[in-house]
Amino acid sequence: MAEKEDILSGLANAEYSEGFTTDIEQEFFPKGLNEDIVRAISERKNEPAWMLEFRLNAFRKWQAMEMPSWGHLTIPPIDFQDIIYFAAPKPPKKREEVDPELVKTFDKLGIPLHERDALSGVAVDAVFDSVSVKTTFQKTLAEKGIIFCPFSEAVQNHPELVRKYLAKVVPPGDNYFAALNSAVFSDGSFCYIPKGVRCPMELSSYFRINARNIGQFERTLIVADEGSYVSYLEGCTAPMRDENQLHAAIVEIIVEKDAEVKYSTVQNWYPGDKQGRGGIFNFVTKRGLCRGENSRLFWTQVETGSAITWKYPSTILRGDGSLSEFYSVALTNNYQQADTGTKMVHIGKNTVSRIVSKGISAGQSQNSYRGLVKVAAGASGVRNHSQCDSLLIGDKCGAHTFPVIECANGGAILEHEATTSKISDEQLFYLRQRGISEEDAVALIVGGYASDVLKRLPMEFAIEARRLLSVNLEGSVG
Amino acid sequence: MDRLTIGKGITRSETLLLRGGESRAWDITVCSGASLSLVIIALPGGVGKIDCDIAVQFEGEGGECQLKGLYLAGGSSNVNIKVNIVHNWPNCISRQLFKGIVAERARTLFFGLIMVPEKCIGTEAYQENHNLLLSDECIAQSLPQLEIYADDVKCSHGATFGRLGDEELFYMRSRGIPLDEARRLQMVAFAGEVLEGLPEETVSEALTALEMLV
Repeated sequence: MAEKEDILSGLANAEYSEGFTTDIEQEFFPKGLNEDIVRAISERKNEPAWMLEFRLNAFRKWQAMEMPSWGHLTIPPIDFQDIIYFAAPKPPKKREEVDPELVKTFDKLGIPLHERDALSGVAVDAVFDSVSVKTTFQKTLAEKGIIFCPFSEAVQNHPELVRKYLAKVVPPGDNYFAALNSAVFSDGSFCYIPKGVRCPMELSSYFRINARNIGQFERTLIVADEGSYVSYLEGCTAPMRDENQLHAAIVEIIVEKDAEVKYSTVQNWYPGDKQGRGGIFNFVTKRGLCRGENSRLFWTQVETGSAITWKYPSTILRGDGSLSEFYSVALTNNYQQADTGTKMVHIGKNTVSRIVSKGISAGQSQNSYRGLVKVAAGASGVRNHSQCDSLLIGDKCGAHTFPVIECANGGAILEHEATTSKISDEQLFYLRQRGISEEDAVALIVGGYASDVLKRLPMEFAIEARRLLSVNLEGSVG
Repeated sequence: MDRLTIGKGITRSETLLLRGGESRAWDITVCSGASLSLVIIALPGGVGKIDCDIAVQFEGEGGECQLKGLYLAGGSSNVNIKVNIVHNWPNCISRQLFKGIVAERARTLFFGLIMVPEKCIGTEAYQENHNLLLSDECIAQSLPQLEIYADDVKCSHGATFGRLGDEELFYMRSRGIPLDEARRLQMVAFAGEVLEGLPEETVSEALTALEMLV
């Protein structure tokens, strides 16, 4: 009941509530992208020579690449020389303190930067524009041997680990935006769970874009060593602006033997206004490697924000008997566009994957599922099931499904199914005649449609996700 | 490219037999109230590649189009089947069922696009693609695609990849049916859905070809 009231109250103030800006003194690098900027970022972070070399190498690769155009997306030209690649709040006078303005900002977003008892279940790494401003519970986690810190700190304190795992899943030349990110990435989270350790709390990264004209290039690296377990959450928001801003991230996950990683995202970047002005371009490369035997990786994502979303959280199932699941809800409204899905590459024997994707398009939006299930020749006993459903609300939106299934082994069993439909008049009528308004009825039906995915999210996230779904559907019916 | 128009209200059945090295491209228009049933059978043998390209569009409301296909690929053959159905009129129906048996070092590709432009409501479009893989050297690909710009539609696609069932084989073998025969029977059952209702000579040619893959 409380949850339903939450939905209703959410509907009442359906504006993008995270769209405020924080007025804080910040320092910026000049606009534009060249080798000097790459060097300046590296120098600013006091990085070792190998890291700079890595960036420059990626930058040269990026220069030789062209922006891909295969997505079912209409992307206005992006001027990469018109973006600020580094912006950071001025460092506080005392080292250990966080600017109260920032604390207020994150409080407003519901992200506590204090280690309060009530929320001790979640450790947060908060990233503001190009830098991480605070990582909570580092000490508590360190007692168990867990490393959870901003990426730039990891480069200083654990260079051997970073070097060992960086770019092992997403090489710098993987794709256009991965190369760009590898050259100019500023901050993100690094997480290492040692052998046999079960992480006692949820870890989370929260990304906030604040400054105008900046691009955010986060880099997250999660390593789960043998037999360990971690649940990781990611959230993101940005102010409302009429111009588009670029967010190009890389998330790499390495799962060793018998380890398990859950990665959940609630993506709530500013989606642009009702006329399609502004919003974030969210071009992200997320990939996990199930390296060891019986390793497990679970992706859960709720995508409600961004003007354009272009991402495919993928898993390479290399260890024998490894398992990966991808659960996704992608909602687009007004003029939003999404081209998202997953890739499951089965290399190990007896590997199993499951894909459940629920797309909802409303307004004039375009929502595509694009996926790949690939079985290598040596991978016997592979099992995959994919289910992609699309829901259309209104007659001006589009819902598309572009799966690719490739099988090179006679022992595999793969299934793919996809359906497209609209909210049935009968369902609506049933709810309407019980006195539920049309909008609430749609929110209820969509909530039910997406519940397969929502129920896999950690509790706080599930409530937030439900609220976002109903808020973002506002005005899409009638 | 062959053109085929099914005139208003006409019901028509066609069978298309492709042997190794043959290629066909058909551009089909189904007029209002017309109904087409097309069966495509790609047989192994010969050298080179089989390319089959089918494009279907509608001309008026209430058209119906049923496509069935069976592709048998062995040796190092290469079979490409492309189906492109554009539901450019409201209230039309299309049904597709494509089944493939892929053996030895063969490569097959099934590409099927269902496209429903804006305002083409009342569309029903279904597509199924099933692949039976008999070896570890073959490669089968399936790209079932849906592109939908109208809301009041019913569209679905499904694709599966699998092997001969061990339990079914065991059942038959425990009743004295030799392994090869048991395998053949399963394959016949798999292909049956496409073959039923076809002229006898076509069926027997398909079954003979199927035997080559056992």
